[in-house]
Amino acid sequence: MKQKDMGPALTRRTFIKSAGAACAMLFVAGSLPSLVRPATAAPNEKNINDVLKKQFGNKNVTMSHVDIKAPIIAENGAVVPITITSDLPMRSDDYVKKINVYAEGNLEPYVASIDLTPANGKAEFAMRIKMRKTSNVRVVLETSKGRLYGAAKAVKVTIGGCGG
Amino acid sequence: MASVGKIKIRVPNTIKKGDIIPVQVLVSHPMETGMRKNKDGSVIPAYYINDVDVFYGNDKITHCDWTIAVSANPFITFYVKADKAAPIRIVYKDIKGGVYEQAVQISPQ
Repeated sequence: MKQKDMGPALTRRTFIKSAGAACAMLFVAGSLPSLVRPATAAPNEKNINDVLKKQFGNKNVTMSHVDIKAPIIAENGAVVPITITSDLPMRSDDYVKKINVYAEGNLEPYVASIDLTPANGKAEFAMRIKMRKTSNVRVVLETSKGRLYGAAKAVKVTIGGCGG
Repeated sequence: MASVGKIKIRVPNTIKKGDIIPVQVLVSHPMETGMRKNKDGSVIPAYYINDVDVFYGNDKITHCDWTIAVSANPFITFYVKADKAAPIRIVYKDIKGGVYEQAVQISPQ
């Protein structure tokens, strides 16, 4: 910022003050308050392991055959594009029945589930999700034979004007 | 928003019989979480699509169960094995009872 833009009254102190105020404004005016809330203020955040345990019991999740494509850094946590692919077969006797998507840092980690059938031909699905803060995107696939396959991918969410 | 429920479907121009084709669908919807507040401090009520069905001909081929964590104006891509001439129909339902649907004809050569 150049001096002539700010008028003659600009000193280092006032500049820092106004810059700080501007940053604070950006935080307050953020269009998604739930996303810009500081990481500590989450008393009712659910633990992903509890969520998975509740949904799948003690079944073993194999961490293979699933690939999550997601940005390493998502500039806007309100729109994080993810693509879930799996090389598992989509035959009529053995296919991917369900894709469960979780964002670990969200207050409610469960994002969506997608039921597929052999008519899809291929176990691939792309969507855009909201993420409250930097965390893992986790996917658990269920096959028609009852097996579970999973994957996790870290996504850094940067939102807010102060690099928060 | 006047355009809530407006749906756009995109499929490949030429489809061979048996191809696995990508189907891209965009629907206009605010997907309000129920956690955001207005300027006057009142909570904006939750308003989101929670149920999506995809039909190919008469068969339901895909179903989605969604929560507030799906982005506004949901844009999805899924795949369909184009083995018959039939419409692909997508039906969205939101929590206020809105039902939005659109179909596109698939004619594999």
